[in-house]
Amino acid sequence: MKLISCIIRPDKLDVVVDALDKQHVVGMTVTDVRGFGRQKGQVEHYRGGEYTIRFIPKVRLDVVVQDQDVETILTTVGKVAKTGNVGDGKVFVIDVPNAMRIRTGEKGTSAL
Amino acid sequence: MKDFVVEKPVDLLPGLPEFNGRENRAMSLVWCIIRPESLEPVKQALTEVELIGGMTITDVRGFGRQKGSTEHYRGEPYTIRFVPKVRLEVAVASEDVNTVMTAVHRSACTGQVGDGKVFVLNLPTTMRIRTGERGVGAL
Repeated sequence: MKLISCIIRPDKLDVVVDALDKQHVVGMTVTDVRGFGRQKGQVEHYRGGEYTIRFIPKVRLDVVVQDQDVETILTTVGKVAKTGNVGDGKVFVIDVPNAMRIRTGEKGTSAL
Repeated sequence: MKDFVVEKPVDLLPGLPEFNGRENRAMSLVWCIIRPESLEPVKQALTEVELIGGMTITDVRGFGRQKGSTEHYRGEPYTIRFVPKVRLEVAVASEDVNTVMTAVHRSACTGQVGDGKVFVLNLPTTMRIRTGERGVGAL
């Protein structure tokens, strides 16, 4: 199993969730985060002076899927969350050796 | 205002040996998505297990196979797509993972839909920031 952790723009959340729903993804967790990438935040202007915002609000969407579904999910998120502008975000894929459904105690892929 | 500058990493505590006898044990990060009201019982159960050095809590929103929950307000049903949950993260030695999972199951399980899930992730490296020690000694 793999954890797909997507850092995306907050306004893209609903679109990405709908797209993942069509891919029959059965659950996800959303966290409000702040961050920056290579651009190190945006450069804003205020009263003629420049200032740098380092941390920009983003949304982190975590989905755990079976290994064979990783590529499909990556393609879906890549297509739907993209605007082409700096700040679109990143996706990280992390290995998940085990999982458990708390209500029933089931482990492994049947926990998903 | 100064631009953000990444400083060259310094060698922390250069005299400290990087590996001691316990260093090479594999480690896992256990992610538990639980109901907010389960937080205290789970925290209590994990403290009793005595295998964990600490934990991190995050407020999250999410849903599972039920795709949210249906609530009623003044007689009308409405769907909450993202239900508030708590994510509890614990780093442990991999051999202790099953004990931790059992403790979480026992304390967080109500038998109702929405109880949550546990994910076990690999943790190749850890470090205690105060001392620079790595591996299981950092937990």
